[in-house]
Amino acid sequence: MSPSGVARPPLQSFQLDNGLSVVLAADSASPTASVWVWYRVGSKNEWPGVTGASHWVEHMLFEGSPRYGKGAIDRAIVSVGGELNAFTDTDFTAYFSTVPRDHLSVPLDIESDRMTRALIADEEVERERTIIHSEREGNENWPEFRVEEDLYALAFRRHPYRWDALGHREDIARMTPAELRGYYHRFYGTRNAILVVAGGFDPTAIAAEIRERFSPLPATGEDVTVAEVEPPQRGERRSELSGPGTTPYLQIGWRSPALADPATPATLVLDTLLGGETRMFSAGAGWWRSAEHPSARLYRVLVDPGLAVRAASDFRPKFYPGLFTIQALAAKGVSLDRIEHEIERVVERVARTGPTAQEMEEIRTKIRRGAALAYEGASRIGFRLGYFSVLRSPEYEDELYRAVLRVRAEEVRARAREMLRPEHRVVVRYTPTGEGQDD
Amino acid sequence: MTDRTDPLRIEYGAELDGLQVVHQPAPTGAASVSATYVGPAGWAFDPPGREGTARLVNQLVTSAAGRLDRIALARRLDRLGATLARQCAPESAEVSIWGPASEWGHLLEILADVVLRPRFDPSDVARARRQMRERQLREATQPASRAEVELWRAVFPEGHPYRESGVGSARSLARITRADLQKFHRAQYSSGEAVLVVTAPVGPAAVERAARRLFRSFATRTAPSLSLPPLGNRRPTERRIDLPGRSQVEVRLGGVSIPRSAPEYPAAYLANEILGGRPMLSRLFQQVREKGGLAYHASSALEAMRLGGHFEVQAGTGGDRYPKVVRLLRQELARASNEEVSRATLDTIRESAIGQIPLALESTSDAHELAVDVAYHRLPGDYWLGWPAKLRAVRPRDVRAAAALALDVRRAVTVLAGPLG
Repeated sequence: MSPSGVARPPLQSFQLDNGLSVVLAADSASPTASVWVWYRVGSKNEWPGVTGASHWVEHMLFEGSPRYGKGAIDRAIVSVGGELNAFTDTDFTAYFSTVPRDHLSVPLDIESDRMTRALIADEEVERERTIIHSEREGNENWPEFRVEEDLYALAFRRHPYRWDALGHREDIARMTPAELRGYYHRFYGTRNAILVVAGGFDPTAIAAEIRERFSPLPATGEDVTVAEVEPPQRGERRSELSGPGTTPYLQIGWRSPALADPATPATLVLDTLLGGETRMFSAGAGWWRSAEHPSARLYRVLVDPGLAVRAASDFRPKFYPGLFTIQALAAKGVSLDRIEHEIERVVERVARTGPTAQEMEEIRTKIRRGAALAYEGASRIGFRLGYFSVLRSPEYEDELYRAVLRVRAEEVRARAREMLRPEHRVVVRYTPTGEGQDD
Repeated sequence: MTDRTDPLRIEYGAELDGLQVVHQPAPTGAASVSATYVGPAGWAFDPPGREGTARLVNQLVTSAAGRLDRIALARRLDRLGATLARQCAPESAEVSIWGPASEWGHLLEILADVVLRPRFDPSDVARARRQMRERQLREATQPASRAEVELWRAVFPEGHPYRESGVGSARSLARITRADLQKFHRAQYSSGEAVLVVTAPVGPAAVERAARRLFRSFATRTAPSLSLPPLGNRRPTERRIDLPGRSQVEVRLGGVSIPRSAPEYPAAYLANEILGGRPMLSRLFQQVREKGGLAYHASSALEAMRLGGHFEVQAGTGGDRYPKVVRLLRQELARASNEEVSRATLDTIRESAIGQIPLALESTSDAHELAVDVAYHRLPGDYWLGWPAKLRAVRPRDVRAAAALALDVRRAVTVLAGPLG
């Protein structure tokens, strides 16, 4: 375990002349090696009319580059037993390949080829358009997706966090291949990229290979700073949705601090108090909430007495202020009014009395334990290092971890009082249209 | 000499009243430990009229046990940095724990407690029942889950355990009492036919000592027997479930397949990987997504269980595109049995599957899944070491023959669920 308590291999980082940042985390015992490229480009860099462009670019980087024709990237990685994928969020686009350690050169070659030279051919853009529609349609089948999309649209009026990374249907239908290529060439480049390599390799040899492969790339990638600042919210905002389904559902959101904000550590503790864990330092095997947390405040007030079948909070800090949310799926026969009322009471109580000493101790233990296990396996190491690097720096995780452990109960109470105000909340409620109510 | 530190080699230890103790070395440098109990407690054993019992019991064993009520158990897990997980299938149920390697003894104590001494507190039973009801409703109305439910109901006859998803109905759920749950637990969470798999950076002797001390008070030591009813002569059908207001149609094709013990399994495994199991390289991915641009996802799965199996081909697509997608899925499924795969394709898929083994050793929990699979199916301890040779022995004609048996298009049922218009 490192002195900070976050258990990960030692890091080596450097920057090439073209601006590419490199982070290496070597572990000689690892049978695999994981290569991640994180671009500081996400839906935050889009504008109305081209929403969804970052996600579309994510798809297109598998569809051809000078040395890897369409489908060749998939074949190159999967045929050596590796796995690969990519994902796009508001703040970043990330690509990863994990391979048996002897094949580490394969993903490095691929990433150097497609970092600035993806082809994004017209016919491939057109073919991919339907696939992206299909991806969005699959998400729309879930009420939870519809609610979250509406929540962000309501909470943000100026900042680009107001649209989902998948983009609006209309923009997916309209965007031209030329616009997509323009977006790619404008933002996706060495200056906005972080290459993370984790797992079994010789760091000196890999550093040399990276320099050889990536140094010839031009220094590209425009500034990705978002100029729009979301003005303060004055008054509650609400929306009522209805549609297919069986279970009433609601999400409440409040403006939350950005990752680097000094208020973030206390907000992470507040999330753990209400929902049972923080994704940032979770003992669970994945990034997603994996288990029920019967000792969490929301669970005890909503799920225990039978008002909800599920209830949790969620705080994923972003580069800019995002949302802290609470969501609940109502139990049969329980109205969303009742659920909302109970959530208000939970929030009021935390703001009034804060966590108990016992709760604070339990939260610290949980976070310590989570941090000790969060780094098992090259893929997870690559993910975590990339995530922190793209939003701040690879070392920031240590700083954040120490800050979270220093948070006092009084700070959590103050955070709840300041952030979770009724006049600052955004509420989206989903009422099913009633089918399938019984056998 | 065998390498006792290789996670690919699992070691069968003592049988404690039928409970097979299995040890797997943790991957080098792993900070965590995983342990799993798998017993004959799947929904095939649901009492008639009380369908949903197995799933409820499986959920409730991880809620509260021994002296620890739900909150006390949750706090104990949090203090240790541990996570309990569960899984229920037609033939079996699993309970697992994962946490820091340094606490492996405490983790095994908790696992023994929840497997042997669940409390079934009335408030927990009520909560689990509410959650199950919500799942029933969701299965009926969410296109992906509805398509699954309808698929297996069309493939398997009444009374067949693979026919249902184990959640029961509103009526069966209402009939299940706390006493029913306790009775099911006593009978099915037995030592007979069960396995305890531990992946830890400690030796097999230490694991066995702990297992002897902790797992010795099963109420039942004999395994209940299970056999599958005859399948009858079911005709391939197409079911269309119109769910207006949704954005996407979920397409499923599926049918009966082979058990894991079938000699054709390695060839059938490769046939499925070629068809739709291997991400990115499979024919379904290539034809439906990459060439056709018709759907975001298109894949296939072969579920080979102890007694039998089933296969499934799936895709999700827009309401205007599904007829073309169905045609392509059927075409590729038929091709698997009708056309011999080229040597080059077989080699690519095979080497991909073999090459992937190191990825399964990235972490304790990944490696543990391999060991549970081997132990549950009572495969040899060096099964994964011998797996590459088994795959390399498969010839193109074996793949075709296995596909005809395990991915049989002639008996495949088609289900469409979504906005069919």
